[in-house]
Amino acid sequence: MFPLRHLRHLPLSLLIASTHVQAQDGEQLYGLYCAACHAPDGKGATGGAFPPLAGSEWVLGNPKRSVAIVLKGLHGPVEVAGKSYNLEMPPQGDALGDDQIAAILNFVHKAWGNKGQEVKPELVSAARKEFASRNKAWTAPELLKLFPLEKQATALAHLTSRVYKGQWSTLPDFSKIEAENVEEEHDGILDTALAALPVDFGIVWEGEFLAPSEGEYAFILDADDGAKLILNGKAVAEVKGLGPMEDKNRISQGKVKLKAGANPIRIEYFQGKGNQGISLGWKLSGAKQWQWVSANTPKANVGPTPIPLMPKDGKTVIYRNFIEGSSARGIGFGFPGGVNMVYSADNLAPALVWAGDFMDAGRHWTDRGQGFQAPMADLVVKLNNQRYLPADALFKGYTLDKQGNPTFHVRIGADILSDSWKPGETGTLIRTLSLATKSSTPITIEVPLGNAAITGSEKITLTAGTPSTITYNLK
Amino acid sequence: MRLPIFLLASLTSLAFSQQKQSDFYTIESIPMPPGEVMEIGSIALMPDDKVAVTTRRGDLWICEGAYGSDLSKVKWTRFAEGLHEPLGMYWKDGSLYLTQRPEFSRLQDSDGDGAADVFETISSGWGINGDYHEYAFGTSPDKNGDVWITLCLTGSGGAASDWRGWTVRITPDGKMIPTCSGIRSPGGIGFNAEGDTFYTDNQGLWNGSSSLKWLKPGSFQGNPTGNKYHQLANLPAPPEPTSGSRVLAEHLKFPDYIPPAVVLPHGKVGQSPTAIVPDLSAGKFGPWAKQLYIGEQTHSQVQRVSLEKVNGIYQGAVFHFLEGFQCGIIPAKLDSRGVLFVGGSNRGWASRGNQPFNFDRVKWNGKTPFEILTMNVQPDGFTLTFTEPVDPASAADPASYSMAAWTYILQSGYGSPEVDQATPVVKSATVAADGKSVRLVIDGLVRGHVHHLKAPGVKSASGLTLWHPEAFYTLNEIPK
Repeated sequence: MFPLRHLRHLPLSLLIASTHVQAQDGEQLYGLYCAACHAPDGKGATGGAFPPLAGSEWVLGNPKRSVAIVLKGLHGPVEVAGKSYNLEMPPQGDALGDDQIAAILNFVHKAWGNKGQEVKPELVSAARKEFASRNKAWTAPELLKLFPLEKQATALAHLTSRVYKGQWSTLPDFSKIEAENVEEEHDGILDTALAALPVDFGIVWEGEFLAPSEGEYAFILDADDGAKLILNGKAVAEVKGLGPMEDKNRISQGKVKLKAGANPIRIEYFQGKGNQGISLGWKLSGAKQWQWVSANTPKANVGPTPIPLMPKDGKTVIYRNFIEGSSARGIGFGFPGGVNMVYSADNLAPALVWAGDFMDAGRHWTDRGQGFQAPMADLVVKLNNQRYLPADALFKGYTLDKQGNPTFHVRIGADILSDSWKPGETGTLIRTLSLATKSSTPITIEVPLGNAAITGSEKITLTAGTPSTITYNLK
Repeated sequence: MRLPIFLLASLTSLAFSQQKQSDFYTIESIPMPPGEVMEIGSIALMPDDKVAVTTRRGDLWICEGAYGSDLSKVKWTRFAEGLHEPLGMYWKDGSLYLTQRPEFSRLQDSDGDGAADVFETISSGWGINGDYHEYAFGTSPDKNGDVWITLCLTGSGGAASDWRGWTVRITPDGKMIPTCSGIRSPGGIGFNAEGDTFYTDNQGLWNGSSSLKWLKPGSFQGNPTGNKYHQLANLPAPPEPTSGSRVLAEHLKFPDYIPPAVVLPHGKVGQSPTAIVPDLSAGKFGPWAKQLYIGEQTHSQVQRVSLEKVNGIYQGAVFHFLEGFQCGIIPAKLDSRGVLFVGGSNRGWASRGNQPFNFDRVKWNGKTPFEILTMNVQPDGFTLTFTEPVDPASAADPASYSMAAWTYILQSGYGSPEVDQATPVVKSATVAADGKSVRLVIDGLVRGHVHHLKAPGVKSASGLTLWHPEAFYTLNEIPK
């Protein structure tokens, strides 16, 4: 209970000047300017679709990092508490005063169990001067270079490393080899760089794994080359033989019941030729996020969740968006039978044709949808990046037949150029060009067909009233 | 024992909740097709009580039964897919017309099978380059049949593609007429009851606070980023305002720079204004005939605006209105029978309502809330009109009112603090004979400032305090 009776005798002005009231201001300002995205509970709006501040590693350590972000904003991909986001934080430096920014950050740094440092208005004012000439938002890599995240204590305690030399293609019996060097690793991080050797060495780490509670724990181990994880004397995971990291067939997972507190842990590792590295993550069985105890961590799944599009019910699927290899006015069609094309409504010509899967809409249907998305297939034929029709040619849209196959229409003066596409025999796309004219003298135009995938001429001369058919063979 | 200050404050606010939204308006969620992601970007009212919506993913769905008494019976049909983020749609003569990111188009179902097969491009006269921010918001046709399309800048502060930062008109035969410059980041565009065109622009560079702005043909709206495109059409160069100045000062320097009709004070009223809907329901949605409703994405609300024209310039007041929507509101349409449809999304921009998308209808139940209906400027103050007769004693007491005024810096930086604060003083309050209006005489009106009126002490003849006891009036002009 708040000891009101002690405060009763204080003058009102003193009450208002107290830190209690200042904290209230920060919370109120947070609610007004920040909570829409970061959520009133700091967990990120819409069930975490926006970055959390509660429990975020970004609020810890050098408080100038937070100040810099609030002043200038943050643009593009950022990883927070193990999850990646690609959004836009607008800069607040020109809208909020030093005392307001300090009050908001003092609230955020201490709210929801956060243990961030105090932010004085003087720090905001100094940062404002320091970054005065900066006229664009930060990117996460820029910030991390200027203000690295605090190293957190890991679950590995009393960690030692022993380095061995030798050429192996599988894990050796380290008990039979003499270590070249022994070190204490106070940061509790597995890092193969400690050996300072490029090839032909091994490392054995030993220490305690501090389990926060009793229960079943999951571990994930990856290494270049081999590695083995032993807990309480029992092998839990092993990456065998020579090979790279990030290979699904090599990554090893295991589960083990642990008592709360210290559990002896041993990690054996060897490096043959080429790249080196080890990653080890853990979590309570059923938890979402892995906690990493290694300098290497798997590349965060920075891309959005894939949303593959494909023809449905035997009908052609359409995807109108920013498609890599086309101009911004790209219109993609994925035909039954696994053939695809993208038409550029800027260039009034097809830009891409390919066989295989169509498009992944994940990028454009997640967050703000920034950037161009490449087709799902590896082999894509670029047909045309030039506009070949006269300057007054106008895109007039497209029509779809019953199967959803498109005909694109272009007006050239009084004439209409129609450009129809449908799937043909296995792995082919059939394109029919025709010219309708209202003028008394039929015109002819030259149509470049692209640089691949067709037999015969790369260019046709089209005369009004006489359609031309071209087959693209994509298999 | 004396109560601590914060407790007193919360007790006071309790007194304001005598009237609540559910006493007057019902918000109902319209069930959506199962399994579909329906992030709604535009709404069109169609014949036969059908309502069409487009989604940010590029689908166009038609809903039957959206007016029905049993919403569980709604039926959805997908009319088109693969559209490019449409943010404007209307129905006319058998076709749906869409403002899509790259073009203005007409969709038709020529074979009558219930799905569009003609996607005719009417105009694609503006540039896009692949930046997500290059949105295009479009209206229904104006009285000349032209459609107004307002073109977001590239990113927050660039104009990398043709006509970014401009509003254009598309004539029925597809001609594009660049009409206004100075646009930053629109969230919606529409007409007022008189048919003049307005858009909402979001707080950011050269925009101290989000605002409702009047798109007077030939006008400049404050953000010079896209000015260079005047050269593409041999138009006169738009004004180049001075960073660090004030809107009023630049307006006096450049008469074509039309000040925001109604500033929607950042944080206090909203953070992301969107749709503009005139009330043409002639009183079927409440006593607000001919006023405007403004969607608010971040706060998941709908605000209400009363406008007036003084010395040839629009200005007026914004009032809090509807709240508690499940998602951030983007489009809205009001039916002539008084059914308001709203839809939204919070992908990429968060909202208080924490659902990823919504489609709701709002109906008025015929009960009139006690509220300020309009706020009109006078040479020496304001006239407030109320929806119900006031209690003469409380309404005639100047102590029932208070006022604060401020403006924003017009600057190349992002947004602005509230600056140049002033405290106009209510000297007298005179209640009209019919009890429906009060004439406030005020010392210290400041031209160019937002005037924040609070009227917590005013009671209705039946003893109610106001549903929303405040208004924010943008004083561009003071009449003589």
